Amino acid sequence: MKGFFTILITKIVTIILKISGKNGGNLPGKIAYKLNKNMLKYFKIKCPVIAVVGTNGKTTTNNSINSILKKANYNVISNLQGNNMETGILSILTKESTLTGKIKADFITLEVDESYLPVVFKKLKLDTLVILDFFRDQLDRVGEIETLILKINEFLKTYNGNLVLNSDDPNVARLGQANPDNSNVYYFSVDKYKYATDKMKEAGEGKFCPFCSTRLEYEYYQYAHIGKFKCPNCNYGDNEIYKLITDVDLENKTFKIKNDTFKINYNSIYSIYNFAAAITVASLYNIDIEYIKQTLEEFELNNGRQEKLVINGSETTINLAKNPTGANVSLRLVNEDNDPKDVLFVLNDKSADGTDVSWIYDIDFSNLNNVNRIITSGTRAYDMAICIKNNGVSPDKIEAYLNLDDAVKSLYKTNCKKYAISNYTAVQDTRHAIINYK
Amino acid sequence: MKELKILYLYPDILDLYGDIGNIKILKYRIEQRGYKATVDSYSINDPKPNFRSYDIIFAGGGADNEQQILAEDLIKYKDEIKQAKDAGVYFLLICGAYQLFGKYYKGVEGNIIPGLEVFDYYTEANPDRNQRCIGNIIIESSFGNSKTKIIGFENHGGQTYGIETPFGKVLYGNGNKFGDEFEGFMEENVIATYLHGPLLSKNPELTDYIIRYCLKRKYNEEVILDPLNDELENKCRLQLFERFLYNKK
Repeated sequence: MKGFFTILITKIVTIILKISGKNGGNLPGKIAYKLNKNMLKYFKIKCPVIAVVGTNGKTTTNNSINSILKKANYNVISNLQGNNMETGILSILTKESTLTGKIKADFITLEVDESYLPVVFKKLKLDTLVILDFFRDQLDRVGEIETLILKINEFLKTYNGNLVLNSDDPNVARLGQANPDNSNVYYFSVDKYKYATDKMKEAGEGKFCPFCSTRLEYEYYQYAHIGKFKCPNCNYGDNEIYKLITDVDLENKTFKIKNDTFKINYNSIYSIYNFAAAITVASLYNIDIEYIKQTLEEFELNNGRQEKLVINGSETTINLAKNPTGANVSLRLVNEDNDPKDVLFVLNDKSADGTDVSWIYDIDFSNLNNVNRIITSGTRAYDMAICIKNNGVSPDKIEAYLNLDDAVKSLYKTNCKKYAISNYTAVQDTRHAIINYK
Repeated sequence: MKELKILYLYPDILDLYGDIGNIKILKYRIEQRGYKATVDSYSINDPKPNFRSYDIIFAGGGADNEQQILAEDLIKYKDEIKQAKDAGVYFLLICGAYQLFGKYYKGVEGNIIPGLEVFDYYTEANPDRNQRCIGNIIIESSFGNSKTKIIGFENHGGQTYGIETPFGKVLYGNGNKFGDEFEGFMEENVIATYLHGPLLSKNPELTDYIIRYCLKRKYNEEVILDPLNDELENKCRLQLFERFLYNKK
């Protein structure tokens, strides 16, 4: 179908959804895709397109880039809600375009599902690509990480735009060599922080050099396999750093780049990496540093990612954890807090989560700090509970409920602090169940 | 104190699907019964382990490219491993390790990766790389004197042939090949299977069977293991049987 009619129909559907009070999510994009498989090519985009990929941190990074650019008074279009597959991107672009496919904006920033990157940007011109990290995630849906990286590597061979890479992830940094003719490769890195370790603490990837298969050597690990690494054989890992974050202080929530101090609202090391990526992008477009500082100082997502609420008098933190690394960094937050607390884990095995839940055994439950009770819920509540039991937590301290409302009710039986950690499809349900708890 | 010793092969490489859970579960259920559980690990560049001195040898599944690196390492110990198996050491082998212990693995391009040849079965990659056996799986297995349902999750492209003594009969899922009647390989002291989950997490009876086998072999005594609080496991099994076996649409 012609682009014009596709947009028209899609827009009508969006309006109908809006009138009937429904949030369509991917639906308009699904319809547009059905009507015209090459719809993405139809848009007339004159502004730079910035894309963020990576296993963890896409939504936070994309939102923070969007906020910085808006702070600098630009008109920005983004898929802020995280609809990151081709249909999700189509949804947002059809919504923002004229019927002739023109999009009026100064920037488009998109988070993109890793496996959709090549298809989407075959049809859409990309100006800057940010790659955050690769962790094991949904092996049953996405497949092994290596296959995914090779696919992205193939795409990058002919890409000449800005490439922003996490220098501390060996599986990301290697992509800087995919196209030796691309002179626009920029690495960011974060200096050793207080809780960095000599040994890998949590499950991670990239144990071997991607170029010569020698075992990589690490000076330190920040979390999972993110850290300062080098190949003792071919010297891989020695990159020129464009933006280096130093003096990370999670208690006071500050860090530095050269002489500039940044204040943020987050206290986890992985957030610092997301902000390092956002600052790099902003700097490539010459955004004034004061805009960046102001934005980060105000920036909060409130969508179940390190979201803080007070419910029934109990301070509650909701966090998303869709893979072992996500869960481990969430548990770091739990264990770095000395107050007594209850923890709720919600684990679903719907297709968007990945139906294989065995990854929960890569979660590090040692050193639980002052945790009174653990409550589990979701379609795999029992799997989660069994896992925790086998990690040495007494079954008396574990409660499992298939019904989420029952789980939340039990969570607020006591009035200590609460942490709620949920995977992908569970996080919004968990958030609603907690907010609606009376 | 009576002790069971576990050798965990390549924990840093064969670690893709939470298989470490099997070690945690074995350790937990051994220790809850008042025995000591010792876990040693072996990986590339470590000194050669004395395979026969262990009660259980465990290995899991890994990423394809890393699996090739370790296949070359493991093959050095082919004879020692065979001797340990003949001496009755219990072998629990999951997914990639299951394949490695067979005759060979034939890749998509027809390339042959030699196995340890401890067992006679062999595996061939599915010609279409994108087609894998993926999903929840339930099999019925006979060990000890009873039939027990085993729940796990499979994710493999390889199709395994040449098995006469399978681990179990498939009730739900694929098994050794697409739509196979049988899953895995079993001998008195061996379970080799595609089941992750991890395997032992939802199958406490199987874990206890392995522990009893090892205690009997080592101390030559019939043990009755104290029952543990397995309420969570039992509820989980009921939930998943209901979902996959009885409530199929």
